[in-house]
Amino acid sequence: MRSALAVALALLCFALIGPLIAPHDPTAIDIPNRLSPPSAERWLGTDALGRDILSRLLHGARWSLGLAFLVSILGLCIGTVAGLVAAQGGKPVDWAVMRVTDIFLAFPEIVAAVVIAGVLGAGTGSLIFALTVTGWMRYARVARGIGLSLRSRGYVVQAQLAGLSSLAIARWHYLPSLLPSLMVVWTGMFARAILGISALGFLGFGVQPPMPEWGTMLLDARIHMRSTPLQMIWPGLAVVICVLAINLSGDALRDALTKEDAPQ
Amino acid sequence: MIRVVRGLLLRAAVVLTGTAVATFALLWHAPGDPALAIAIARYDAVVPAEVIDQIRAEAGLDAGFWPAFKAWIMPLLTGDFGQSSVTGRPVWPEVTTALSYTAPLALMGLLVGILISVPLAVLAAQRPGGWLDRCAVALASIGAAIPAYWLGLLLVLLFAVQLGWLPAMGARTPAHSILPALTLGLGVAASLTRILRSGLLEAREQPFLPAFRRRGVSHRAIERDHVAPHAAIPVVTIFGLELAFLLEGAVMVEVIFARPGLGSFLINAIEARDFPKVQAVVILTALLFVTVNLLIDLIYRALDPRIGAQDA
Amino acid sequence: MLTVEHVSVERGKTLVLEDISLSLAPNRTLTVVGESGAGKSTLIAAILGLAPCTSGQILWAGAPVRRCGPALVMQEPRSAFNPVLSLRRSVMEPLTARRARLDDNRLKTLCDGLEIPPDLLERRPAQVSIGQAQRVGILRALIGAPPLVLFDEPLSALDAVTQKHTARLIADLQRQEGFAALIVTHDLGYAAAFADDIAVLRAGRIEEQTASRAFIDAPQTDYGRILRDAAFSLGALERVA
Repeated sequence: MRSALAVALALLCFALIGPLIAPHDPTAIDIPNRLSPPSAERWLGTDALGRDILSRLLHGARWSLGLAFLVSILGLCIGTVAGLVAAQGGKPVDWAVMRVTDIFLAFPEIVAAVVIAGVLGAGTGSLIFALTVTGWMRYARVARGIGLSLRSRGYVVQAQLAGLSSLAIARWHYLPSLLPSLMVVWTGMFARAILGISALGFLGFGVQPPMPEWGTMLLDARIHMRSTPLQMIWPGLAVVICVLAINLSGDALRDALTKEDAPQ
Repeated sequence: MIRVVRGLLLRAAVVLTGTAVATFALLWHAPGDPALAIAIARYDAVVPAEVIDQIRAEAGLDAGFWPAFKAWIMPLLTGDFGQSSVTGRPVWPEVTTALSYTAPLALMGLLVGILISVPLAVLAAQRPGGWLDRCAVALASIGAAIPAYWLGLLLVLLFAVQLGWLPAMGARTPAHSILPALTLGLGVAASLTRILRSGLLEAREQPFLPAFRRRGVSHRAIERDHVAPHAAIPVVTIFGLELAFLLEGAVMVEVIFARPGLGSFLINAIEARDFPKVQAVVILTALLFVTVNLLIDLIYRALDPRIGAQDA
Repeated sequence: MLTVEHVSVERGKTLVLEDISLSLAPNRTLTVVGESGAGKSTLIAAILGLAPCTSGQILWAGAPVRRCGPALVMQEPRSAFNPVLSLRRSVMEPLTARRARLDDNRLKTLCDGLEIPPDLLERRPAQVSIGQAQRVGILRALIGAPPLVLFDEPLSALDAVTQKHTARLIADLQRQEGFAALIVTHDLGYAAAFADDIAVLRAGRIEEQTASRAFIDAPQTDYGRILRDAAFSLGALERVA
């Protein structure tokens, strides 16, 4: 399981330095060498416009992983705030916040993201908006659940008596206890965001060409499935490896946390 | 119990209303002039401003948000989904046609998923940590990481392009459904195996089982009366998630395999900016979702007596 | 002056406290004794404004109690501290919340009085004994010089020797600081030894409120007598052992 964490960290580093080590310009068009098979110079071959696939994959990591990271962190912030407001705000506030959460959960996340991104028009901005709006509810539920259980703890009551503001109580007394569980949710949502971004890219609602993004690359590659099937393998493989590594490190994190809790 | 049901129904109603408002607000704030979009879609040419104004009035777009919302929601409550803004034809028959393609596909996917996951999970849980168990867990983890559209493309590549055994595109014959159902089913199987396996393992660890065993209750009877019902509880709750997965998967699968259905209907409607169609799909999906989750909630309460009437 | 006037508290449909009236002056100690479930903790919550009163009112010097900055010492000392923060941070909370400066002399005097070694405050709750944690809990209660301090079973988590010692410390500090103390306990021996008045709470009602000496000599109600006899027969056993 530790190896999964290592792979996940390596992938993140990869997304950061990927563009630096890419051997070619990911958008440089080279029509004479289009759809060329893997060779010594172009390790993974070229696409329909003669662009180097390896370089596009490396640059694409920044889009696919970077956007997924951004979206999952945005969701984390929104969801945590919503959950804490629900937990601290008393019954009517709690009810209202949880019904809003239900509304956003009343729909498969990816389908909702497709509708939102599609209606708002293709582009990175609407992509981020669509995936953030559909990706905060799990955090909210977890934060609320733990928050409610903390509300009657001695130290929270003491902080209230001392006259600490709700914000300070949330910051010092709720957040430290929430963070481990939120991290576990975050790994799952990070993986989902990667899948979501590539799915939207594949449907044509995501990152726009000529930017290399794994889902968009797959969409391009699909047309040439018969002539160069390998071209279709790479972006999909990149998604699978990333999602798998992140999911497994999330599992490891959860196991470590439950073990830590057990003796107490 | 009646209070619980009433609470759940109220919740469902609030959620549905909220979804309707949110959807309408999203479409209302969509960029571009919807009247112009309709005009272009209808006449496929440059149209004079008067015609656009006429379309705007006709579609109720000039009235402001709440009147327009009211004009949409009131007929909807009587089951009238309105007309396509592009073709002018009623939306409802087209939606039902689309549904008649998607529903069997989703059911087949679910069936494939159950057929794979149930034996796999039961075998894996026989000897936790054994090689079969490790394989099942590994397969389930990988399966959960594979996006449906890539899996679909790989299946097409293997069975249609390379081997030439099965047709890939369209939905003309039953054979056309094999690859799409397989794509959906493998994804369902991945998550179902995981949950079923851990449910079975947890059920076997119930503290009272060793006492039964010592008293000579047969292995078979213990599995049937005490392990299976306990393992069923997480499975019931997971059906809500599986439904989400099937709907998400259906959208992607229908695009990949160029099949008619709710997913491709939705994508086409978005691309044509035919908002009444988009609204219809969204509301129907939300209705389906809320209903299924309501049923799951009730079944869950019936199966697990520990969840009382506490939280409605 | 704390005045509780005809207070009732409902939880759901059950009446937890019914028509409670009490009063407590600065520098005095009132103990509320009663069995588990008599409504003692609810009474504390109601006084602190954490549980809404269905009827009646609770005032300190004519204003809502919370305005005077009351402090609470809890039954379970460890859980009264955030496990991830140092004890010093938690102790300072009443001051930081009011943006008040810490008076080093006062901290030192209180620490000496409570026999808290200076480095103890740098530790986490899990790194100190329960008795130490409870003394730090009292330190936190007193650091902001509150006029009213509520004690919710302050001794029941402690062992017998520590109990006596801690009770002594509380009494000494009260003499120095002059706060009004309301102590909720089921330990009648403790109540008799340290309190000025004893109020007997039974099933949400005050059975009687008497000066503690007078109560020990002659409880006014049958229930008070039962309580007293039970407590002192147990106390006798303890002395023999």
